[in-house]
Parts: sequence; structure tokens; C-alpha cells
Amino acid sequence: MKLTANQAQLPRQVLAGEIWPALADRHVYRVDPDGRPFVLPGMGAVTLGVHCGDPATGHAADHLEPGASVRHRDAAANFALQYLTCVGNEVRVTSGPAAGAVGHVIGQHAYVLADFPEAALQLMAPGDTVTVVAVGQGLALADHRDIVVKNCDPGLLDRMPGGTDSAGRLKVHVAARVPAEAIGAGAGMISEYANTDLMGAYQGLGDDLSLGLESLRIGDVVCLEDTDHRFGRGYRAGFLTIGVISTGQCMLFGHGPGPSSLMSGPAEAFSIVLDPAANLASWLHPWPQEAADDQR
Amino acid sequence: MTSVNLAGCAEHPVLGESPYRVDRDGVSYVPVGDGGIILGLELGDSVFKLAADHAAPGACLVHPDAAARHALAAFACIGNRVVVRTGPAAGAVGSVVGKRGEAGRVIAGFRQADLALLRPSDEVLVRACGQGWRPEGLTTDVTVLNLDPAILAVLPVDLAADGRRVTASVRAVLPGRLAGNGIGRPAASWDLDLQLTAGDLATDVLLGDLIAVTDIDARYNMGYRRDWLTVGVVVHGASPVPGHGPGITPILTGPSAALQPLPDAAGHTGLTAAAVQLQ
Repeated sequence: MKLTANQAQLPRQVLAGEIWPALADRHVYRVDPDGRPFVLPGMGAVTLGVHCGDPATGHAADHLEPGASVRHRDAAANFALQYLTCVGNEVRVTSGPAAGAVGHVIGQHAYVLADFPEAALQLMAPGDTVTVVAVGQGLALADHRDIVVKNCDPGLLDRMPGGTDSAGRLKVHVAARVPAEAIGAGAGMISEYANTDLMGAYQGLGDDLSLGLESLRIGDVVCLEDTDHRFGRGYRAGFLTIGVISTGQCMLFGHGPGPSSLMSGPAEAFSIVLDPAANLASWLHPWPQEAADDQR
Repeated sequence: MTSVNLAGCAEHPVLGESPYRVDRDGVSYVPVGDGGIILGLELGDSVFKLAADHAAPGACLVHPDAAARHALAAFACIGNRVVVRTGPAAGAVGSVVGKRGEAGRVIAGFRQADLALLRPSDEVLVRACGQGWRPEGLTTDVTVLNLDPAILAVLPVDLAADGRRVTASVRAVLPGRLAGNGIGRPAASWDLDLQLTAGDLATDVLLGDLIAVTDIDARYNMGYRRDWLTVGVVVHGASPVPGHGPGITPILTGPSAALQPLPDAAGHTGLTAAAVQLQ
């Protein structure tokens, strides 16, 4: 979407991080919706085989984080990395056998989540360092003052379809609408950190758990109904939040595939278009062709 | 039932380097009353009485060791006795009236005269008892949690109202979409914040009220399950933070066919100071 905004005023800041290990504790198990214990991978380290455009659910995983999961070793520097990094920012690997590989941020989840071509991910391991060129926080749309934009690289906004419609509303293409009942863990947290887990997407469990969200894909742009993420994350009737699904399958109850927040405002400020192609893969990750082009 | 003497201490509120938080309208504010010892706020007061953030009726209890603090929050149950062991309030007896999540806090009610003598870091003993309790005659579909076995008798709960269903008098029945912070977290130690601001409901909500939330299963972690019901005790006041609000400590959860709320906006009486012998 081509919009009048303050892109020229946004600083580009070089941040450092490293691929962070998967973490566990000595009690091993977590608990699914029916009280059954499980041990499943997904968070931290490098998760292979799942990219933007792939199903978010149906994996034997918990809090599936596609690609590389990145933190900074220093706690305060890590908060800066997590808050300032935006969806669509470029990530470059700077150590290890995959050094030089370029990917993009697809979201936050208390890790910065970076999707890379599968061939590059195969070479990556925890401890490998990355550079993130952070740009996007502070982005403001001149003609849509009621909408707060966050966590969104201006380049991503440019590539997304939509724009200002004839009524002055912001037309946004989304792959799914999500009812407020689905909002799980993450409610009450700030909206520049981690994401909002969506319940009702537990593949293979009972119908009474379903909110019809089992077909979400990683990278889908979704619309959260009655949700205000302008200054945090809460319920507000008549507000909408646009997010991008950055994490996948969960078995932990009250959790699920999660959107990182991109914009939020009163419903009347938006014109929502249901579009199955509304996915980061359509604009940001047309791999493997893009990677092949990069290497020429 | 197993009883355990746990050690805790009265909390001192903590803030980061910035004193400000941001409210649901994007306005900065200083979060007064979030943890620690709050004077002049009691069971039966409105959750909107104070211009505060998560203010609780009494003293929040913590433990300096993070794991011991989690255990304190997980094992303490509403109605458990609390005895002050050090400081000018030593010997004062109070009662657990609720819990809060995240790092773990137990909310202890005291008589106001005792509370006025309490100081952050004063040590207390909590006689924890209740987790794992299954009252006799309770239908297997319904789970009781976070309750001292002695306290159920003074709550407006009937375990076998018509021979099979559990009923509970509640101030209001709220839809699950209003459940905020606490979703996805363990019901044995976290509270569930209700995203309510003053005037949202036709009725006031009082500390100690029972509230029912539809489509929320709180047997383990709290989350969405259609045709399920969770009843909790209102344990702390409102919050300006989006996604937060007055919190309930869950005490009953089960399928809505087995657990029925009896809403009584005007006449409901939930957990009172008299019930926990603070009067």
C-alpha cells in the first residue's frame, strides 16, 4: 500500500543478536488442554522445515517458532532488540557456516523470529550471531491518524496490498478474521514485545476447543476483532488489530498460533478485505527464487 | 488433606527505572497500589473504589526466593490462616483472600488495626491447605481449587443443588472474551483479570464477590473451552493497563451442564470479612 507516512524520518539502527538455545527445565513436561503432559520442540534455537505460507498448526510442536530465534545476551540490550525490531526488517547472519545469509523478521515472541531460506537455516545453530537493521517503530500514517502502526518495517507496508479507499479508510487484506474469544496468553502485555496467542486452533483435540482457526498459516495477516493494541493489548469493543502470524502450533492450554501486532485502531478506520494470499510469503519471502537471485 | 506451614513476608512494591505505565487510552500514569500493603481497602469495597492499579485488600505476601515464592502462591488457598511472626504486628492473625500471578503473590486480609502495624518484609506464616481437595459428594465433572476446605461452607455455593449440579451465587456472569491477563497461565497460582472499567456493568463489583466467566476452563492452565464455566472470587481492584482489570482467583470450574451460576446483581454476597474471621 502506498501511503503518506513519515518513512524519511525513521532512523535505521543496527542491532546485534544471537541465535538462542531452546530452553527447558528439569520438570520437563507442560500440560495440554486436557491435563495431559507433553514434551514438544518448537521454541528457541533453529526450527527447520516451516516457513511463511506453511500451515501454522498440525505440527507436533509447542509454540513453534519458524526459523531462527534470536536474543541478545544482555538483558537491557535484549529488550531494546525485542522492542525495536520490526516485522520485515532484514536479518543477516554474521558468524558460523551460514554467515552472509539474509532473512527477514517475521515477528516477535520474546525472541526475534527470523525466517531464512531452508538451505541457510540447515547451517545455523544457537550461538551464531546476527545483525538486524531495525526500522519501523514510530511509523505514522498521515491520512490515518486514528490508527497506530507498530512493529512494521515501512518496506513491508509498501508491499502489502490495500491503501486508502474512497471513503478515507485504510484498506487492509487479511487471510482471516479472529474473534475476541480466541485471545489467549499475551493479553495484558505490551504490544511491542512477544505476540498474542490465539486459542481455538488445537488440531486434533476436541471440538469444544475449536474456534475455527486450525487453517492459519505462518505469515498470515489476520484481523483481531474487538481488540485494541495501540498502547498494550486489551479487549475494546469496536476496535481492530492487524497482526501477522509469527508462531505456530501450541499444545499448552490458553496458547496457540500468535500474531505480532502491526496496526490497531477503531474498526471504522479500516476496510477489511478477506484475501487468502494475505501472507508474508506473498511479499517478503518468495523463496527459493529470491535467494537464488541474491546469490547472482 | 496435607497442611504445610509456609514462610512469606509482606511485600514492598517495586517499580522499574521509569515510574510510568501507560493506560488503555495511551496516557501515562504512576501505578499506585500495585502490590505491597494497602490500607483502607477491604472485602466488600468496590473494585473501583481507589484510583489505583491492581490494589488488593490487605497485604501482598511474597518470598525472597523466586521458587519458594511460586510455591507460596501455588499452595496458599483462600481461607488459609496467616500469622504475623515479626515486627510490631507480630501475633496478628489474618486470612488468605486471594492470589495474583506472574512472579507470585498471596493476598492476605487483616484487621485494619493490625494492617496499620505491618511493614514490608515483616515475616508471616501461611498454613497452606486446600490444593488437591475434592469435597465429598462433588460431581466428578466439577473441579474445586484454591479453597481452604473450611471456607466452602461460608461461600454461596451448593455442591449438589438438585442432586447433581453445583450452583454458585454470583454478582455477574461475564463472557470469556473479557478474560485478559491470566489466560494461558496456571489457575493454581495466577488470577484471571477481567477487562472491566467503571460503568461497563449495570452493577458494581465488590472485592470478595463471586463472578462467573463463560467458556473458560481453569482446571490446569486457563483457556477457552466452549460450554464451560469458571467461578472465581474477586481478589483485587481495577487496573488502567489494557488487558487487565479486577482479578478473580478461580475456585470452581466445570462444564456448564454441571456448574450453574445464579446471578444476583443486587443481593449477592460472596467472600466477606466475617467469613474469614477478620471482624
